[in-house]
Amino acid sequence: MNLTDFLQQHGNEILQATIEHVWLVAATMLLSIAIGVPLGILVARRPWLSKPILGSANVAETIPSLALLGFLLPVPWLGDRADRLTITALTLYALLPIIRNTAAGITGVDPAVREAARGMGMTPRQILFQVELPLSISTVLAGVRVATVLTIGVATIAAAVGAGGLGEFIFRGLAMVNNQLILAGAIPAAALALAADFVLSVLERRLRPAR
Amino acid sequence: MKLLAPLRSWAVASAAALLAILLAACSTRPHDTIVVGSKNFPEQALLGEILAQHLEARTHLRVERRFYLAGSYICQQALLAGRIDTYVEYTGTALTAILHDPIESDSSAVFGKVKAQYESRFGFEVLPSLGFNDTFAIVVRGEDARRLNLKTLTDAARYTPQWRPGFGYEFMERPDGYAGLARVYGLKFAAPPRVLDLGLLYRALLDGQVDLVAGNSTDGLLAARDLVVLQDDKHYFPPYEAVPIARQDFLARYPEVRDAISALAGQISDAEMQKMNYAVAGEGRDASVVAREFLRSKGLD
Amino acid sequence: MNVETKPAADGDAIVEFRSVHYTLPRGQVLLRDVSFAVRRGETLVLLGRSGAGKTTALKLINRLADPTDGAVNVDGRSTLDWDPIALRRHIGYVIQETGLFPHYTVEQNISLIPRLEHWPTPQVRERAQELLALVGLDPAHFLKRYPHELSGGQRQRVGVARALAADPPILLMDEPFGALDPLTRAEIRGEFQALQQRLQKTIVIVTHDTSEALLLGTRIALMEAGELKGLYSPGDFLHSNEPVASAYVAQLRALEEFERGK
Repeated sequence: MNLTDFLQQHGNEILQATIEHVWLVAATMLLSIAIGVPLGILVARRPWLSKPILGSANVAETIPSLALLGFLLPVPWLGDRADRLTITALTLYALLPIIRNTAAGITGVDPAVREAARGMGMTPRQILFQVELPLSISTVLAGVRVATVLTIGVATIAAAVGAGGLGEFIFRGLAMVNNQLILAGAIPAAALALAADFVLSVLERRLRPAR
Repeated sequence: MKLLAPLRSWAVASAAALLAILLAACSTRPHDTIVVGSKNFPEQALLGEILAQHLEARTHLRVERRFYLAGSYICQQALLAGRIDTYVEYTGTALTAILHDPIESDSSAVFGKVKAQYESRFGFEVLPSLGFNDTFAIVVRGEDARRLNLKTLTDAARYTPQWRPGFGYEFMERPDGYAGLARVYGLKFAAPPRVLDLGLLYRALLDGQVDLVAGNSTDGLLAARDLVVLQDDKHYFPPYEAVPIARQDFLARYPEVRDAISALAGQISDAEMQKMNYAVAGEGRDASVVAREFLRSKGLD
Repeated sequence: MNVETKPAADGDAIVEFRSVHYTLPRGQVLLRDVSFAVRRGETLVLLGRSGAGKTTALKLINRLADPTDGAVNVDGRSTLDWDPIALRRHIGYVIQETGLFPHYTVEQNISLIPRLEHWPTPQVRERAQELLALVGLDPAHFLKRYPHELSGGQRQRVGVARALAADPPILLMDEPFGALDPLTRAEIRGEFQALQQRLQKTIVIVTHDTSEALLLGTRIALMEAGELKGLYSPGDFLHSNEPVASAYVAQLRALEEFERGK
């Protein structure tokens, strides 16, 4: 089947699968940022927490993705719906880069700036929102970028547990020994990852404070 | 503030993009298109094609195919999420793998339980069986069956101490596999079972390397070679009747689909499924062509 | 020891140290029984070498640290009775590294506290322009600049302007000109002297530079190893026989000795 016929027949499917994929990634990133950034701030404030928090996130990261999905499968409520299961596993995966980069970004703020802010009478909250976060946003974004690309990749594997998305094309193509199907999943997934990486690194660069 | 100004416009842009994507996600399927799914082996692709072609012929709907999904859980999730609208499941598999209930042997009891629970737990409707029962089949060479006048497993139990069996990995491992079978029929063999790949079992049987194998009742080779399936007279093996499944709200929206699928009830016998399986897996023919021939022969196209 | 024993009248003392001790959790003593008073309108210089405890003493005034014993009074109240945020906004703070916010313009940096205190916007902008002019920078040219576009001297001037923005009665300066090259340093010092007259503020400056102490201070508090060695007027300091004080003065004369030696 040549390319135009293939696209005609499967084009709609591919689009749907891409949207499913993006939705999985978007939901995951929103959750992991909402959880990860505050945890990163906490770690920056209380360094003794860095070992337990970063340590746990590291454990989650180290477990092979398919194994993590497998672990969560028998959990009640989570395992009943593939999207819940997948978003949970993906969020756990995405946490480490985000927590680590947020903590690094905030601790990396020039101590003189922090001292001046404190000495002038800014409240801790004002310092966080007006000084520390704006100054570390580029670093935090770097973590978000790594997490996003990672999530796009692992979401592909999640098709093995029924999450849909572009990975499903790949698995079906493998089972049918059909290269076109495999590529129909692989190419958009790769393109998504590259696009996300590019867009986020441009943003990262624009937001980096000039020294 | 220099830094946050671009961030603000990026944030607005990406929020807008995300919103657009989420809205699009709700509406990309063109109207009056339905999706038929299947699992990832030839029999399932055949059943999927039969379903799809029949629906194309009998309704005005466009049918998309999403075949070779890797297993029951994937199909279940796909059906729940609306990625597919219907597929063919096996009652025994539904009972154990999806509903996590213990296996039983009474086929109407199993069908009843699956139908009731699928409706209450998932809002799925289980449509009447397509006719065949794709369960385990204990198979011996035709010449042995005729010579020793073997019809049932109880008959064979007398001769098994002289035989060597051959089983696949799954049959050896499953609780409703070898262990239970040997217990229920009191089977003793001359030697421990040879564990072989499914594809090699029948060849080993025909070559005389083993004398008894466990296959599936709809395997294509059963129609094409001199092989006999022994009757499970003690009803040990659970039923795996092929039933089409669909969401209730989907059927409510397209009642013509229910009518069309119901017309397929009981239309496929074990022997007919074996023949179709052999055509695809053994002769390498295209599943959609084989499906079309079948439907035509039954006047269902 | 040439200690000035004239007691300050209570109403006159804006900042008072009363038998202040500061010990680190691990037991290191940074301040030992330090007592002195800073009079309204004077510039007190805390002079000492590294580790003498002068920066620690400064930080006790705006509660960046709390004394382990004794009390530091500001405006008659112990710092412990002040809300730390209110206290710090009452006091201007200039540090050696400046600590300007790199992501704020000069104007935004200067107007930080007025904005936090919800001054009306036109007033804020006016104040920023006024202060830039005060520290010798052309507002038209500098308001929209970012710190990384400024030289060290310019940054330090902006730092002073920022500290003065809310017109605090007290100004604390921790080695404010220490990071500047000698020429810029002398230049800014001169400008600051002129500023002192106009501002009429109570200023406490930490430095290890003897000439700076002599030029800027109305009184010099000499600190060594966590203790207050003495309080001197600049003249008294120059002619003091106290060993530490004489050591500092000798350093001043080093150039003359170099000349003589040739």
